[in-house]
Amino acid sequence: MAPTPDWVKQLKPSGSQGSELLVAERAKSDIPVQKLHELLLTKEVIERKQRILAILKSEKVFDKSQNYFSGRMERFERALAREKKLQLLKRKHKWTLDEFRTASELVGEPGPYGLHESMFRITIAGQGTPEQQEKFGKAAEAYKIIGCYAQTELGHGSNVRGLETTATWNSQDKTFTIHSPHLTASKWWIGSLGRTANYACVMAQLIVEGKSYGPHPFIVQIRDMKTHEPLENVHVGDIGPKFGYNTMDNGFLLFNNVKVPHENMLARFSQVDPKTNKYVRHGSPSLIYGTLTWVRSTIVMQAGSVLARGVTIATRYCAIRRQFQDRDAPEWEKGENAVLNYTMVQIRLLPLLAATFALHFTGKGMMNLYQENQKRMNQTNTSRESNKRGAGPEETESGSDILADLHATSCGLKALSSTIAAEGLEVCRRACGGHGYSSFSGIGPWYSDYLPTTTWEGDNYMLTQQVARYLLKSARAVLKNPTPTNDTTRILSHFQSRVNIGCAFDILGSDEDIVAAFAWRASFLTFEALKHRDEQKKPWNDLLVDFYRLSKAHSQYLVIKNFYDVLRSGEIAQSTSPPLRTILLKLFQLFALHTLEQEGSEFYVSGACSKHQIMLARTSAVMNLLKEIRPHAVRLVDSWGFDDWVLDSSLGREDGKVYEDMFYRASELNPLNKVTVDPYPESEVLFKKVEGGYGKSKL
Amino acid sequence: MPDFTDHLKPRYNGAATLQAERNGSAICVDELSQHLLSRDCFLERQEKIVEVLSQEKLFNKSQQLGLSRVDRYHLGLARAKAIQRIARRQGWDHDDCMMAEYLNDEMSPYHLHMTMFVTTIREQASQQQKQHWMPRILNYDIIGCYAQGELSHGSNVRGLETVAKWDPVNNEFEIHSPYLTASKWWNGSLGRTATHAIVVAQLLVPKQQHGKPSDSLEAGYENHGPQTFIVPIREQRTHQPLQGIVVGDIGPKYGYASMDNGYMLFDHFRVPKSALLTRYAEVSDETGALVRRGHPAVVYGSLTFVRGQIIMHARLVLARAVTVAVRYCAVRRQFRYRDSTAASGACTELQVLDYPTGRIRILPLLATTFALHYTGEYMDDLYSRSREAIESGDFGPLAELHSASSGLKSLSTTLVADGIETCRRAMRGHGFGGGSGLVGLNAEYLSKPTVEGDNWMITQQVVAYLIKKMTAVVQSPTASPQDPTDELFQSFLKRRLHRKPQSVFDPHGHLDDQAIVDVFKWRTADLSYRAYQARLVEKNLWTRLMIQLHNLSRAYSEQILVTNFHTALHSTAGSLSSPTPDVLRTCFRLFALYTLSNSSSSFLLTDSVLRSTLTMLDDSILELMTELRPHAVKLVDSWAIPDFLLNSALGRYHGKVYEELFNMAHRKNPLNKVTFNPDWRSEEIVLGSGDQGRHILAKL
Repeated sequence: MAPTPDWVKQLKPSGSQGSELLVAERAKSDIPVQKLHELLLTKEVIERKQRILAILKSEKVFDKSQNYFSGRMERFERALAREKKLQLLKRKHKWTLDEFRTASELVGEPGPYGLHESMFRITIAGQGTPEQQEKFGKAAEAYKIIGCYAQTELGHGSNVRGLETTATWNSQDKTFTIHSPHLTASKWWIGSLGRTANYACVMAQLIVEGKSYGPHPFIVQIRDMKTHEPLENVHVGDIGPKFGYNTMDNGFLLFNNVKVPHENMLARFSQVDPKTNKYVRHGSPSLIYGTLTWVRSTIVMQAGSVLARGVTIATRYCAIRRQFQDRDAPEWEKGENAVLNYTMVQIRLLPLLAATFALHFTGKGMMNLYQENQKRMNQTNTSRESNKRGAGPEETESGSDILADLHATSCGLKALSSTIAAEGLEVCRRACGGHGYSSFSGIGPWYSDYLPTTTWEGDNYMLTQQVARYLLKSARAVLKNPTPTNDTTRILSHFQSRVNIGCAFDILGSDEDIVAAFAWRASFLTFEALKHRDEQKKPWNDLLVDFYRLSKAHSQYLVIKNFYDVLRSGEIAQSTSPPLRTILLKLFQLFALHTLEQEGSEFYVSGACSKHQIMLARTSAVMNLLKEIRPHAVRLVDSWGFDDWVLDSSLGREDGKVYEDMFYRASELNPLNKVTVDPYPESEVLFKKVEGGYGKSKL
Repeated sequence: MPDFTDHLKPRYNGAATLQAERNGSAICVDELSQHLLSRDCFLERQEKIVEVLSQEKLFNKSQQLGLSRVDRYHLGLARAKAIQRIARRQGWDHDDCMMAEYLNDEMSPYHLHMTMFVTTIREQASQQQKQHWMPRILNYDIIGCYAQGELSHGSNVRGLETVAKWDPVNNEFEIHSPYLTASKWWNGSLGRTATHAIVVAQLLVPKQQHGKPSDSLEAGYENHGPQTFIVPIREQRTHQPLQGIVVGDIGPKYGYASMDNGYMLFDHFRVPKSALLTRYAEVSDETGALVRRGHPAVVYGSLTFVRGQIIMHARLVLARAVTVAVRYCAVRRQFRYRDSTAASGACTELQVLDYPTGRIRILPLLATTFALHYTGEYMDDLYSRSREAIESGDFGPLAELHSASSGLKSLSTTLVADGIETCRRAMRGHGFGGGSGLVGLNAEYLSKPTVEGDNWMITQQVVAYLIKKMTAVVQSPTASPQDPTDELFQSFLKRRLHRKPQSVFDPHGHLDDQAIVDVFKWRTADLSYRAYQARLVEKNLWTRLMIQLHNLSRAYSEQILVTNFHTALHSTAGSLSSPTPDVLRTCFRLFALYTLSNSSSSFLLTDSVLRSTLTMLDDSILELMTELRPHAVKLVDSWAIPDFLLNSALGRYHGKVYEELFNMAHRKNPLNKVTFNPDWRSEEIVLGSGDQGRHILAKL
């Protein structure tokens, strides 16, 4: 393509410039951006991010300019190069684990070492004996072996008990035979497995002397250490392109009677005694699912910032984008209106802006709960007897109330928060109008990489059953003994005590009453479900939809409660000024009332509020909150502090140069514009001229 | 290369499972297919074209998802050309070519040439212009596109910045882009392919009498609003842009990888007088003034037509997603039945389609495909009826058509875009994989909620219309009604003060279909009246009401879907052989109750339904899904989506889900032909290449 002529270079966007508009937006609000930024991330994290960002930006391999244009193969190659560079930098700069994680997060794409770093090493550390940690853990840490975590199969997702891969104990030579009896036993979706890993932690049904003991983890070498070719009788490869995650080599894996030594079964909690050939269990099986619970907690924590990225882009762009004249504007005011001034754009974006804070603070609360739980469990675990009960993700031991509470909340909140974030990103993308469909919006590619979160680590619908089961159990406990032992039994017991008296919540006048109304509705649905199950004896499966709603209601209550508790906490009182607290409180009210109004009929049927209150929430309270928050919108997203390099978005640029950037990327970075075509159908020539050359067709 | 995997079989036999499903329902698939798809010989045409395309290697879809943007366009252009050559060889007509594009299932770089470009010439060019251009267009001597949207202006044509100044001395127009934001943007087929463009620009004509001087760009000119021009943009032989034009592709998008959506800027680019399409407006030779003839509103006619097509298309797209989801969820098994005793159900896991959580996501969408179908037919009729009236000079029907089309376009594309995503997620992990066939579909279709008028913005047209109607009825409540909306509003006003909320169940607890329709109507009327009150009586600001008004548009459109479906049960669908009419009635009820349940607050707040209806709703929906469940596979079969179009391992007709998924990953995946070097200490990426990563850096 010919170089851009001068007359094009001199063109400016019409009307008010995006940069001026954002300056004006920022002048309308007095929110202390830096203060709020520190409240969200802490000074330490902010400093770390800036330091590492500077390093990444100076390395050419992290240049993002071609990310949106490339095919699968090229993206994977580049992702591998980036992973290697990160390891190099990690050693060069002596990064801590936190620093390394920050770097990966800033690069912002799933990388081929991803599952080695997370699941492979964590599983060995958590489930290996000291000897196994010495042997496999050390080698993995030094990247002498590169691993992945092979659990799900072609025919089975989150139900580990249904796995088909077997590991059969051979008493003669003290080995296990790993085997795939069916095609559907193929490991599937396994990150880092397709082209990268030479080892895998394989979950397989343990069979000893004809008896099955359920799924257990085995460390299996799968590729030759020198040639990197699959070992004999191991069949492994990448599963092909996906909706997102195309920088990751999710793989498949089949075994044809492959033998591994006794020491390759991770044996911290159970093993086959090589002398007696007996299966022995020691330690708590619930710890096995600890990893999963931890993963879920981080998902809740991340959901807030994942969504914040989309909200940042959409809010900035909608403050700049003008469309249609306001019908009520006077004749002489000819300019079109910023779309962020339209209530129908506000109603889509501002509740999501509020949700970013709600999820962030809820995640924070959960992480604390997890750490507290971890500590207690390690203390009690040493004294616990071995447990004969088979393990399953659906039936973890509810030894302590905190463990049960955590497990239930991690499932429900993971489901709710990842759904809010994923659907919220799509709402943000659509709120950007036509340009949201361009990759340069930065939202689409980000959304597609985030989406698996709603199905991986347990499908959101399936997870809700665990919450419901826990709530029903709690409700039964409350009916027997109304003395509460944790927050869940507290709200259930309160509801039960007033079931024949009723309630009157002032949802529009009192923030505490909003929280109470959410608790009331969740409790009402719990006892309704209990009635269906225990009194009317309805089949479990007929209640799954009820359970889904129940779980959602309870998780919404938890978010509302956590958000409110944080806002009233000492930390907030110390670190924020009264005006900032007021805005945060308004965000809380908006999130709560908007949610309430969306679920209005449940609140009404439960008796938590009246029809009139819901109507007022809809037509008055929410509308007023939108109006009050609107002037602060740009500063509120600023306080998330995303660097332009991270956003990689024309529409979301901090300086507002939306159109200049769109045009620059299209005309300067776009490789398609190096091609001149022959457009006429009768000619077989397709590309008649390509600057810089072009490979042959790949079909 | 043979290996040990060749002999492996899935644990459960998918083909046998689907066969059992098909044996379990007495629906006559062929008859229902004819009922749904016989319009314009759709089924025969589909069969004919699939036959041809599936034999051409170029239309093999197995590799496209992994390709880079440049490769995708390359492939797209190759296929577009091939379709034209095959068409000439096989004697295909226009509809055949459109069918080929539909089955090829990607946006063709010729798409705008065949649609908006030719339509605009046909509708807005004078007879003489048509004689000049039509043969060249039909013969593909020139390739056209439609350049309306700009970098900072989408659906609002009045805000366009590109100008065309009339120069009476040279008898020419000067087309110019005064700002960067005047750049044409998003225009399909423009980026690399087109030789000509329909350019929509503000027409500036010198003022007859010079007023006082002004410093604006338009000093001395009068703006006549957006007009259409046909403009050559690339040189015939070299295909390079003409002097004074900068044009290119706008870059990668969520979907539409094969299409070269483009940008274009003009630097005082001159075109002859004949470039202005002059069926409705012309610059007079004598006075230099703009002379209009005919009704300019007809310009919006093609937009309305496009919306109608979008709705007809929507049902097929949703049917496709639902086909994949129903077939896969029938084959997929997950978890054992919780209440089963160890003896009865220990060995087999349940089909995902037998879980209410699986059903509630998929079966209401299956019902939605039929709801969209019957309204699509209604729209088609409405359009052809109105079109005849418009052609004969009566522009009255345009208001109702335009408003109905905008509301329905908004609702149906939102339902379908969200529906594809719901189906994809209901299939969980595998839905995310390329083998689902919904990855590409989702990406392509997601443009729909924002093109041809953003779904939120265009609903304003509906409510403005409804408020106007309500106002008229309030002012003269006994005037004779012009259309069903008038009738509804009149009866609403009569009963407004003494009506009680209604149940959709009769006293025996059975569903009352007429009552279902009535509550949807009541809700629409009540919300319309509230909108009228808020806007005209209380004088609220329009922007403050937008959310409320958006909800009204949705309610109105849902009411159209429910009413048309109900009407069809008694007319066309009633004559089908048993049990199809009953199954369709179940679909109608499921669609209506599911919709009601999703907006239950709105029905409650408008006093449309009793609270007791809401409490009975969940059980009723479960029962309807149980009734529908045995027919699910045959119902999706009736939509007759060929495997070639589905392009899905999960949704193939024969049900060999896992074999196909494995085949795609194992044998058809180019990434598996490369061995990488995973050791971070080595900068080499492809093992044995020894290039130390230079290949990667060279591209950055």
